[in-house]
Amino acid sequence: MVKYDLHCRLSGPDPERSGWAWACILAATLSALLSSAAGARLVKDQTGRMVNVPENPHRLVSLAPNITEIVYALGLGDELVGDTDYCDFPPEAEKKPHVGAMVNPSLERIVALKPDLALGTPEANRRETADQLERLGIPVYGVTANTLEGTLGSIENLGKILGCAAEARSLVAQMQARIDRVEKRVEGQPKPTVLFVVWYRPLITVGPHSFIADVIRAAGGVPTGDNLKGEWPRLTLEELQPQNPDVILFPKTESFSPSTEELQRLPGWKDLRAVKDGRMFFVSETVMRSGPRLVDALEELAGILHPVR
Amino acid sequence: MTLPATPRNVIVVAALMSLLLGLVVLASLTLGAVHLPLSAVWTALASPGRNSEAAVIVRQIRLPRILLAILVGAALSVAGTGLQALLRNPLADPYVLGISSGAAVGAIFALWMGGRLAAASPLAAFAGAMITMVWVYLLGRSGGRLASYTLILAGVITASFLSAIILFMLTLLSTRDVRGIAFWLMGDLSVTPLAELRILAPAIILAIAGLYVLAKDLNVLLLGTEEAAHLGVNVVRVEVGVYILASFLTGIAVSTSGAIGYLGLLVPHLGRMLVGNDHRMLLPTAALGGAILLVVSDTLARTVLAPSELPVGAVTAVAGAPVFIYLLRKTAG
Repeated sequence: MVKYDLHCRLSGPDPERSGWAWACILAATLSALLSSAAGARLVKDQTGRMVNVPENPHRLVSLAPNITEIVYALGLGDELVGDTDYCDFPPEAEKKPHVGAMVNPSLERIVALKPDLALGTPEANRRETADQLERLGIPVYGVTANTLEGTLGSIENLGKILGCAAEARSLVAQMQARIDRVEKRVEGQPKPTVLFVVWYRPLITVGPHSFIADVIRAAGGVPTGDNLKGEWPRLTLEELQPQNPDVILFPKTESFSPSTEELQRLPGWKDLRAVKDGRMFFVSETVMRSGPRLVDALEELAGILHPVR
Repeated sequence: MTLPATPRNVIVVAALMSLLLGLVVLASLTLGAVHLPLSAVWTALASPGRNSEAAVIVRQIRLPRILLAILVGAALSVAGTGLQALLRNPLADPYVLGISSGAAVGAIFALWMGGRLAAASPLAAFAGAMITMVWVYLLGRSGGRLASYTLILAGVITASFLSAIILFMLTLLSTRDVRGIAFWLMGDLSVTPLAELRILAPAIILAIAGLYVLAKDLNVLLLGTEEAAHLGVNVVRVEVGVYILASFLTGIAVSTSGAIGYLGLLVPHLGRMLVGNDHRMLLPTAALGGAILLVVSDTLARTVLAPSELPVGAVTAVAGAPVFIYLLRKTAG
């Protein structure tokens, strides 16, 4: 089975639709009424759902790679009893019991791990999975982010409900300091237009309200397609050519590593300014994960867009 | 092989197949992403109130799926049998008349509207299916009769038009909704809670019983509508009855578990190979055979790539196509 899964890359958020809210309020209310867990409290997660979170969760299941990274960064690696097949960072995460892919995890495996809390994100997981887990008595806390700040917010939120608010605040402070340093360094410099290519055939890029676009902005660039709608808009060549981005970025992944020559041969691409100037770069895949390593990606992007002289 | 459809034969065949179904269900309860020995399954079933993980897995995850598979498998197979008789066409399946596309449009529309409507998407899907049923009937009848030629055409055109609408609406949905709907479209038996089964089961059983009442008339209908009329069959009433019942069964099946393909097409043929063309024998055989096959397919769907789950429609397609080709070559001689 191909290890690479497109769903792992779909980490862009959608601010307008919080359709989980209504659908799950009934289930969550019922489970709140029936909850016999000592000291469980009803909190609102980042997607707007009300979740019955236990007071001291210590058996966690992560349903997305970025969440796994956050859990480890908060020092809670030992409390993680299960994660997905695609959770590859840190390396210890690969040795945890796997529950399947993000879009169709095995409910049986999750139940067998006896978690007291599952952590998911609407960017990667289906609302049906969350509903099913709630029906089986496993609360599901959702995180989501569509800005850089939102990612920091996810980390803080998870810290609060997992009982390590202090570690979360300190981690977020470090990340914020690094973000501030980058923003200060690139301040005042001319901002190149940047096309971030999620896929090239057809051409799919990130929407303006995604955290990836926000990272590009923080790195001193202007993401193309401010007028584009949706999380993963398709761009036709007609729309691309007038935008004529200065820089084109590709995430470096196992299955998506075309050579620059190959890209230059795509119809219409060789006339683009970025291609002619040779400003096509591969960046680390971490830019697509809304987690602690997002600042690494930010620094990498800033280094490309505004090289340190 | 043709088995004379005496009441005794029908009961014997039904009993044997029910026994087989019971064994398959028991086996399926032990299989899954988590290995559970038979003793654990037995304890889980026999002592309600225990809340061990095995009990949760068996009673709240596997059992509802298996029960739903039995109901949907029977519903689609019986609908397929009825439609193949109504249309006198061995290629007819429950989706040829556009019902599944109508259900999909209903479900996607509900998701698109979001909010409370999104939570009721199975109802919206069923509504879509029933509206399509009425529409295709009005479009496909000629001279007050359900002449098979125009009905098939009306169904195919409607299905293809609705498919275009579905593709259009998919581009309007946000990525996360598309993810959910893509799974449903491929057939997903895991989403329905046990409580809904209490409504589905009587509905499906009654509709199948309704078709069984028409079984003798279906036999006569196969001779041709004129011949049937000469033999005293109220052709119009039978045709409309079969049409409504088959569409109802298809609509319910698709609304709860998406478009699971090949069952409605193949199970009637397999049934005919086993017991012949007499619908009094064929209908129960198709119902139980469809139930068995869907339980097996669903078990494969959740074990083959464990812990990931395949959509069950993918399994029926991968398994169904070779079976169909085999049948085709066999009848081609």
